[in-house]
Amino acid sequence: MWMSIQLNEYSAEPLYHQIEVQLRALIVSGQLKEGTLLPSIREMAQQLKCSVITIRRVYQDLEAEGLIVTRQGTGTFVAKVDPEERSRHRLDAVTAAMREAIEAGLRVQCSDDELRELFENVLREAKLNRSPPAGGVNRTAGGENEE
Amino acid sequence: MNGYGTPAIRMKGVSLRQSHFRLGPIDLDVPAGFVTAIVGPNSSGKSTTFRLLMDLMKPNEGSIEVLGCKIGGGKQIDLLKRIGYLPEEPYRHDNALRAMDKAEFHRQWYPGWDVNFYRELLKLFEVDHAIKLGNMSKGMRRKFDLALTLAHQPELLLLDEPSSGLDTIAWRTMIDLLHRYMESGDRTILIATHIVEEVKRLADFIVFMAGGKVLGMFEKDELLTGWHQYFFPGTYAEWNGALADMPGLAWLDDAGGVVRAVTGSAREAEAWLAAREIAPVGRKSMELDDILAVLVEQEKLRRQGMKGVKP
Repeated sequence: MWMSIQLNEYSAEPLYHQIEVQLRALIVSGQLKEGTLLPSIREMAQQLKCSVITIRRVYQDLEAEGLIVTRQGTGTFVAKVDPEERSRHRLDAVTAAMREAIEAGLRVQCSDDELRELFENVLREAKLNRSPPAGGVNRTAGGENEE
Repeated sequence: MNGYGTPAIRMKGVSLRQSHFRLGPIDLDVPAGFVTAIVGPNSSGKSTTFRLLMDLMKPNEGSIEVLGCKIGGGKQIDLLKRIGYLPEEPYRHDNALRAMDKAEFHRQWYPGWDVNFYRELLKLFEVDHAIKLGNMSKGMRRKFDLALTLAHQPELLLLDEPSSGLDTIAWRTMIDLLHRYMESGDRTILIATHIVEEVKRLADFIVFMAGGKVLGMFEKDELLTGWHQYFFPGTYAEWNGALADMPGLAWLDDAGGVVRAVTGSAREAEAWLAAREIAPVGRKSMELDDILAVLVEQEKLRRQGMKGVKP
């Protein structure tokens, strides 16, 4: 099973952290559905060219968060993510990205109004660029009804 | 290495003195259930280490344990059955044998011999075992020897430069096979290599060796994300004092108009630099061979009795 996880091996960010963030996002966003069998630790290490120690750590952390479960002898599966948890996780990632953007603005001495204006501009642009296809369905955020 | 259970191999104070080469003293624990790569330049003692583990040579001092058995107290047939050893060079004395006859002889010693797996390996490697060993090309012979090493499903693999002579296709097949071999989780590989890509794809731990000494053992991912180099405008003399306390500083030298600082703790070093508002003009991650070069230089200084970081 192929995982869309991209690593930056030139970053000082520990690999386990890079993998954890991306795997968590895949699960929380629902791209990996409940019950999906994850690759074994060795397989995942082979795919990502990292050590089994790193993958073991990622699996342990995500298991502690309740996002995956390991069944002895059968493997590691994506757990059921409670919808409330999912929407909280969903907003977590956005909040973090937004915080980063705001800090970038503060570093170059943007005023609050400037930041608000920038936010509105970027939002408007983004909407224009992804105008829905003709007859497209307006999907509800979170996509919980997709099963 | 602590925290990884009982080691598959334990070397304590092992040294060997020969007229032309001196090994050790070596203290090394190879954790069970992992792939550990020994990386080092030529004549750093990698092959000698393997021979000591296989009881083909006796150390002058120290003790060696392999899979819980003490080495050196007479032949240990039962232990050898649990090991797959691929020496650096093929045995020349069986050149007149056909490969299939060699396999027939070999299997008598190994109750774990899995004939189906052996056949699968020959097929994967595209080896014709009707050929005489002496008539095989270097790569073909290597593939056959690899098949022999794996076919009895050993608990421990000792591979000395296994990929020498293999083409890229055979190399990929080997990498894949070794990953498959490790899948069950209770097996161990110790592999000597100088091919960076091989270490990257296979290893969990890395042991650096040079001049008969172990320079250090590291967890691979920590090593590769932890070691970085930073460049500063100016000369060594100008920066030596300012950077002396940089976290993890392992090396500092002039690199043509800039000073290069190597650290083994990149994240801490970056925070440290930022707190002091010191901005490097460049930064780069390091490849294994870059790191090995720094460790070798450090060891040279240590031997000359010099302390600290010198250009």
